[in-house]
Amino acid sequence: MAKKIAVYGSYETKVPVKQRYWKTVTRRYWKTRKAYSYMKKGKLIKVPQGKQRYSKKIRQRVWKTTKRMKKAVMSGRYEFHGKGRDLYKAVVKAHQYMPKGFIDVSAEKFLEQPEAYGVEGEWIEREVES
Amino acid sequence: MSKANGLNEKWNHNSIIGFTDTETAMLDFDNTPFRDVKYWTLRAMKWFKLEGFIILKSSENNYHAVFNRKVSWSENMRIVAWASLLSHNKKLLEWLQMQCIKEGSTLRVSPKGDKPSPRIVFRHGKQDRQVKEFLSCRDRIKRIIKKLAGC
Repeated sequence: MAKKIAVYGSYETKVPVKQRYWKTVTRRYWKTRKAYSYMKKGKLIKVPQGKQRYSKKIRQRVWKTTKRMKKAVMSGRYEFHGKGRDLYKAVVKAHQYMPKGFIDVSAEKFLEQPEAYGVEGEWIEREVES
Repeated sequence: MSKANGLNEKWNHNSIIGFTDTETAMLDFDNTPFRDVKYWTLRAMKWFKLEGFIILKSSENNYHAVFNRKVSWSENMRIVAWASLLSHNKKLLEWLQMQCIKEGSTLRVSPKGDKPSPRIVFRHGKQDRQVKEFLSCRDRIKRIIKKLAGC
């Protein structure tokens, strides 16, 4: 296996805020969903009859990704392999695009599309293990 | 003991740059005096017939060892496990676990916070194969660091 250059540490980046919202749904919709899940499990479906079909609304709490952004501290690692010139360019680019987890990629491929492998951020000083 | 002096260029970046390989047997001794590091690297070299090694000082009581013979990944981990088990070095055991997870041994080359970049403090035996490759790769990384520090 080729020798690799590792660029790692902790970084600060902006991530979208997730928030829980109340969502109002009709009981009919809720029952349909329930029936669908029963159907998937291979159970008997009971179609609601009469008044029950158009009864009250119910509220559910659901997670949504908002447009707001918050700062988050994360850690990640790049493992680059390739030619000398590409490696230098990749290491320079790695200071702009922070790794999303553990990324083992050739320097050439990373340079073609750095945003596919990382998010924009800044490395911060924090105790990390090698 | 004198303060460690590594790379002279000021390293303003907070990222850490290291060298990763599967075929080079490497050991990371944290919180271990130099005498013990030398003893265990010599024992490992003799036991596994690793031809030679170099010891690098990364900071006070923290050392790295790189062996000369080319090894497979399984043999590499055998060496690290043997050394960590016999030396009762918990930090080395932790390092072994981390390397197993990512399937590749990594040693730091760039400075880290107040710590300078590791420099060679001891050489023993042959250094014509993996040690030579490690040093050439280390030089390449150091050149990148120098360029980055100048930015």
